Amino acid sequence: VIPARVDYLRPTSIGEALEALADGDAKVLAGGHSLVPMMKLRLARPMLLVDIGRLELRGISESGGVLTIGALTTYDQLLRTDGIGLPDALRESAAAVGDVQVRNMGTVGGSVAHGDPASDVTASLIALGASLRLRSAAGVRECPADEFFVGLFTTVLRQQEILVEIDLPLLGPGEGSAYRSVDDAASGYPLAGAAARVRLDDGRVAECAVGLTGAEATPRRLREVEQALLEVGSGPVEPCVGAALAKLELTRGEGDSEYRRQLTVVAVTRAFQTARARAVEGET
Amino acid sequence: MMETLIESTSASGIGRSRPRTDAASKLTGRAAFVADSPVAGLLHGRLVTCPYAHARILSIDRASALALPGVHAVLVWEDLPIKAGSGRAAEPLAREEVVFAGQPVALVLADTEALAEDGAENVFVDYEPLEPVMDVRRAIELESPLARVGHLKEESDVEMHGAAGGGTDAIGGAPVSANVVDRKVFSAGNAEQALAGSAAVVSGSFRIPWVHQAYMEPQVAMAWPEPDGGLAVRSSTQAVFWVRQELAQLFALPLTKVRVQAGTLGGGFGGKLRLIEPLVASAALAVGRPVQVAFTRTEDFAAANPCPSLEFELQLGADADGRFTALAGRVLIDCGAFTDSAPAALAGARVSGPYHFDCWQIESVGVRTNRFGAGAYRGPTSTQSTFAVESLVDELAARLEVDPFELRLRNAPDPGALRIDGVPWTKIGFRETLQAIRTHPLWEHRHELPENEGVGLALGMFPGAKQGAGAVCRMDSDGGLTVISGYVDMTGTDTSMATIAAEVFGISAEMVRVTAGDTSSAPHAGVSGGSMVTYCLGSAVAVAARDAREQVLRVAAQELEIDPADLEIVEGQVRPLGSPDRGIPLSTIGAKVTGFGPYAPVEGHGSSVPPELAPSVAAALSHVRVDPDTGEVELLHHVAAQDCGRAINPALVEGQMRGGAAQSIGFALYEDLNHNEEGQLLAWSFMTYAIARSESLPTIETILVEVPSPFGPLGARGIGESAIAPGAAAVANAVAAATGLRFGTLPITPRRLWHALTAVPTEA
Repeated sequence: VIPARVDYLRPTSIGEALEALADGDAKVLAGGHSLVPMMKLRLARPMLLVDIGRLELRGISESGGVLTIGALTTYDQLLRTDGIGLPDALRESAAAVGDVQVRNMGTVGGSVAHGDPASDVTASLIALGASLRLRSAAGVRECPADEFFVGLFTTVLRQQEILVEIDLPLLGPGEGSAYRSVDDAASGYPLAGAAARVRLDDGRVAECAVGLTGAEATPRRLREVEQALLEVGSGPVEPCVGAALAKLELTRGEGDSEYRRQLTVVAVTRAFQTARARAVEGET
Repeated sequence: MMETLIESTSASGIGRSRPRTDAASKLTGRAAFVADSPVAGLLHGRLVTCPYAHARILSIDRASALALPGVHAVLVWEDLPIKAGSGRAAEPLAREEVVFAGQPVALVLADTEALAEDGAENVFVDYEPLEPVMDVRRAIELESPLARVGHLKEESDVEMHGAAGGGTDAIGGAPVSANVVDRKVFSAGNAEQALAGSAAVVSGSFRIPWVHQAYMEPQVAMAWPEPDGGLAVRSSTQAVFWVRQELAQLFALPLTKVRVQAGTLGGGFGGKLRLIEPLVASAALAVGRPVQVAFTRTEDFAAANPCPSLEFELQLGADADGRFTALAGRVLIDCGAFTDSAPAALAGARVSGPYHFDCWQIESVGVRTNRFGAGAYRGPTSTQSTFAVESLVDELAARLEVDPFELRLRNAPDPGALRIDGVPWTKIGFRETLQAIRTHPLWEHRHELPENEGVGLALGMFPGAKQGAGAVCRMDSDGGLTVISGYVDMTGTDTSMATIAAEVFGISAEMVRVTAGDTSSAPHAGVSGGSMVTYCLGSAVAVAARDAREQVLRVAAQELEIDPADLEIVEGQVRPLGSPDRGIPLSTIGAKVTGFGPYAPVEGHGSSVPPELAPSVAAALSHVRVDPDTGEVELLHHVAAQDCGRAINPALVEGQMRGGAAQSIGFALYEDLNHNEEGQLLAWSFMTYAIARSESLPTIETILVEVPSPFGPLGARGIGESAIAPGAAAVANAVAAATGLRFGTLPITPRRLWHALTAVPTEA
């Protein structure tokens, strides 16, 4: 409850924020729902908090079939988006986060940048082919979501770099997406959460992307499952996913990888089936 | 009897649902709790806790901490002015031996909590780790290492739930380890023979882990030395007079030099019974300044007094007609490192549930281990016992092919028959409560459910307790009343006391304020617990309100020159019978008795000790759906029925029933305050310790049953604790109905259920 002493800065421009991050012990504060709990327990002890909460990095817009989400957009704002066809997987993963208070304060960009292995939205961003825009004093670079996460609470984001925006393509006709998870009863975090995006061509799965969160040390794209699902046809999905995941080395879990694997199979199966059904609806 | 004391009709609103008087302030965040009180010169304490489950303290280096700005003191056990006493209270900081991970070994006092925490990080303790004792079954064996190597005298107290009684002390047989700290045998007849001659016998092993009370407000207290050499304490407590008694003993002070005040209680459930006050008061006396310590949530999980783990080995027999022949077996209670409040007598006595047995043989064994110290939790051991017994009763019904309701009904205890602790049964609403749900559609249609769904039934009971209670009803200048007692409002009892006083006095409940005084101003009181407040204090308030009424009538009689017997209180006035236009407003009398005039203050006094207990029977039906792919159990519907004697405020009774059901469901599906083999706590926050939450619970349907108790106010029974008894068993029986799997270990987590479903294709 009682954080260690920390300095606090609330810059009014991104330039000022980036400058402040030159201090190697500085951390970016967005919604505060990942970092602050760790600071309360003194598990995280930054010397300087750079609160970017007042920067203009909030909001959702659409242009040319691409959705752009400001990094400071809260889950609640995401869920209240009107008039833009927010992909179902993103909506469902945002709705799965925490509770009302967390969704009011927690930000999409904050969750991504934190690199939590069990962040719900990361699975969806990966499956939906999102691209992350990272800004530094040197300029802007783009990073595909599925290349962003390196390990437990570790990402490719550099110390003097801020995640500013997330781009993702809107779904077209014949496409569908879904997020399904099995959550820990205490924390509400997914023990296994899977997002799937499916494109049908003439009723056949022509394209499939699956993002996984919670089950491993870092969220990632499940390419080995995608390949199997392209060939599943009208056959049963669960055994197909199970076979594809049988070789998977689950790197997270409390000594019960068998159960964790089962939950992964269940989440992937349910996400895929729902996404495919939605794609069918979208096709007709 | 109280029925004659309390007249039945008035404007008081008794028997009707009314909002709690404290609801608005709590819901809007205006209620002030102990840690919200500003105090000049306050020092904040932060704990230095031991990372080992069992260790010897070699040295404590405080120099670096003391060098930090704002740090005033670093206290260790030797610094505390404790002169007497025993058990956990006399050891608020570990002496030489640390007996659980998380035990406080030093207290840093500083100007702010953050500075104190900085100090705590800079206290360096050298330990010699000792072997921890974590497994109760191994701990009882003669050759087991000991959970406590040194010997400190401890005492056990069962005041609150002392109604358990009975049992005999140690039996013969094999010598056991010194980790066995308490041992009781309850027996009648020849249970072994009765089981041998039974038409059917079922048996089972059941294990329920440690569970935390999970109150919202962590343990917190503030203490300061008084100018007269005394001690004042404000704490989050259920029992101010218990705290006073204990602190007076610890510091060898006269009772009158210790003043204890309860703050607004942010949840207790049995867990707020003098855990933290010895530490805070010791510190305040040691440094001569006000001191406050508030546990963090992690400390509250690691270092408080949660509900102990229980293991049952039971056998239940019945004759061909389904009458229980005998109950036999053993209960192991993990008392943790301190055995002050989890004696074997309590757990053994609860094993019978609400049933009558011809014979019984129950051995109840309390075992010391290296886990915190056991505390009380709502209906101590009743949820766990009910789970064990009701699992067996369901099995027996299946074995005998008897309807589960019918089997239970056949074993209702008659008044006068003996409970297994030797206490006679009184009239209880056993049959009435069961009948209230027997025709519930959930039960009637239980065989028409889809696959993976099931409905479970369970019946539970808590006998409640009794203790003397005193109350004062003072007339205020507005003609209303202030009720003063030493009981802390934990469950909305203030609202009920206002209603009772209003009913007796003859005014509306809005005109009654209820105040919990401190130990220097309130009549002596017991504990807010044991389902006792309404049952015991309610009667005292009724007596006090009647006394106040008589005093008011005498004042009015003088004013009106009329015999008091010819006066009544109606519509806010004292009126001569039959002459409504000659009345005096109560506010006029209030002004006279609170002003300087010929009249003494109106102050009614009352006390009461109910002659017997008024057990409340509770039943539950639970409807679950099991997801065979994940092992998750979804609650679709839950019904709670309970005999409340008489519902003084039905909304509050229903609130108690819903809260109890939620906590009981927590036992069944979620809660597990588990340690690993090294004694490290694995569930140290609400991120790792699951409880039943609003989003995982269905609406809990409540059915009030009213079988009046002869001695409670208006026939009311104490209801707080029975409410938690049957839910866990009902959920477990529902899971058994849905899956065919009977779990002996709680909680039934998705992981356990999924493994059980995948492992055993045959009958479990």
